[in-house]
Amino acid sequence: MLIPAVLLQVTLAPNLSVAGAFPNLVLLAVVGWTLVAGAGSGLRWALAGGLLLDLVAPGPFGLHALALAAAAYAAGWCQRSFHADRLLLPFATGGLATVVYNLVLLGVADTFGQNVVLLPALQSWVAPAAVYDAVLMPAAFLLLRGLDACLPQRSAAPG
Amino acid sequence: MRPAGRAQPRSTRLFAGIALGTGLLVLLTQTPALAGPRGTLKGLAAPITAVVTHAVDRVDAGLGLLQDAGRQRADNHKLQAENRALKRQLAELQAAGRENADFRQALGFERSFGHRLLAASVIARSPDGWTRSVTIDRGRAEGIEPSMVVVSGAGLVGRVTDVGQHSAIVQTLVDASSRVNVYTALSGLDATAIGEGGLISMAVLPKPGVVAEPGEWALTSGIGGTYPRGIVVGQVAVFHRRDSATLETAELAPANDFGSLSTVLVIRDWMPAR
Repeated sequence: MLIPAVLLQVTLAPNLSVAGAFPNLVLLAVVGWTLVAGAGSGLRWALAGGLLLDLVAPGPFGLHALALAAAAYAAGWCQRSFHADRLLLPFATGGLATVVYNLVLLGVADTFGQNVVLLPALQSWVAPAAVYDAVLMPAAFLLLRGLDACLPQRSAAPG
Repeated sequence: MRPAGRAQPRSTRLFAGIALGTGLLVLLTQTPALAGPRGTLKGLAAPITAVVTHAVDRVDAGLGLLQDAGRQRADNHKLQAENRALKRQLAELQAAGRENADFRQALGFERSFGHRLLAASVIARSPDGWTRSVTIDRGRAEGIEPSMVVVSGAGLVGRVTDVGQHSAIVQTLVDASSRVNVYTALSGLDATAIGEGGLISMAVLPKPGVVAEPGEWALTSGIGGTYPRGIVVGQVAVFHRRDSATLETAELAPANDFGSLSTVLVIRDWMPAR
C-alpha cells in the first residue's frame, strides 16, 4: 500500500495540482490508517512511508519520516479524543495532520538555515494543501477501513 | 470529547523514539561529507520511478475521455515551448542591445549555449510543496556531478544536488533554498533571485533613479561563480520601490513552467567556482 503511494506521490500527485497545492497520498494513507488502527500502528506506517519518501525526495534522510510521524501522532490524538465520525473526523484530522506535517518540514528547513517566511508559506501552499488533503481524507479513511475489514486479522493492536 | 485511552503513553513513547531516531538521521545525513552515499541511496528508486512515470503517462494518454484534452494540452505545450523560446530570444536581444559594452557579454551568453549539453528526462518531482526539485534519468554513470547547471530551451532550471548511478536530483529555481545572482537586461540592476516554494522574489541592489520595468528580463550575472553569466532566469512581474530601503524587492515570473517540465539539458563542461 505504501510503496504505490510513494511512487504515485512523486509521479502522479504533482500533476493533480490545484491552486498551487497537490495531495499527499502517503500522508493520506498514514493518517487514514491511524484513524482505522490507532496511533501505534499509524506511527509504524509513518516511519516506513516516510523512509520510502526520503528515498525519492531531495535532502537528508529521515525528514519525511519525522514529519509523517508527527502527523500520525496528531491524528492519533484526534482519534482518541473525539468520537468516531465517518466524515467529520477524517476531514478535520486530514487538515490538521497536513498542517503538522508541513510545519515540521518548515521547522527543519529553518533549523538548517533556509529562508523560511512562515506566513506566505502558510498562505501559498500549506493551507491549500490542508484543504486538499482534508477533502480527500474521508475517502481514504473509508477505503482503508474497508481494507481492514477484509483482512482476516490485524497483528498490530491499536495504540 | 472522549477520554484518552491507555494507548496514549505507549504511542507517545513510540513517537518520541521515532522522532529521536529520525532527528538524528536527519542531522547525520545532511552533512556534505555524506552527500555521495546519500545520492547513491536515493538513486536506487530511480528505475522504478521511471517505469511508473512512463506508466502514468501511458495511462493518461490511453484514457479515451482525455484524448482530446491530451492533444490540446500537447499542442498547448508545443506553443508554450515556442513562445518561451521566442521570449528567450527577446531577452537575449534586450540584453545584447542594452549598450555596446554588453555585446561581449551577449556573445558570452551565446557561447554558453555552445557548451556540451546532455539531455535528460524528468522522471519524478518532489513529494511536498516546500522542496521544489525534479529527478532526472541521468547520473554519475553519464558524467553528471553535483552542482552542475541545468537549463531548458526556455532558460535556467537549477542545479544538481544529489547524484545517483543513473539519476540525479535537480534543485529548481523556485525551491526555497535556491539563490541565483542575476542582473536585469535593460536597467542593469544587480539582484539575487530567491526561490519561495513556487515563486521567485528578487532582492535588488538599488541604483539612484533606476527601476526595473515589468516585463524586463533577468539573466544570471555570473557573480559568485555558481552559474555561468547570461542564462535567462525570468521576467520582472512587479517591482517594489522603497526610497528608504537598502534593498528593493521585485517578483519574478520564471522563464520555465516547472510543473510541466519534461526534458532538461545538463551543462557538462561548466562547473561552479569552488
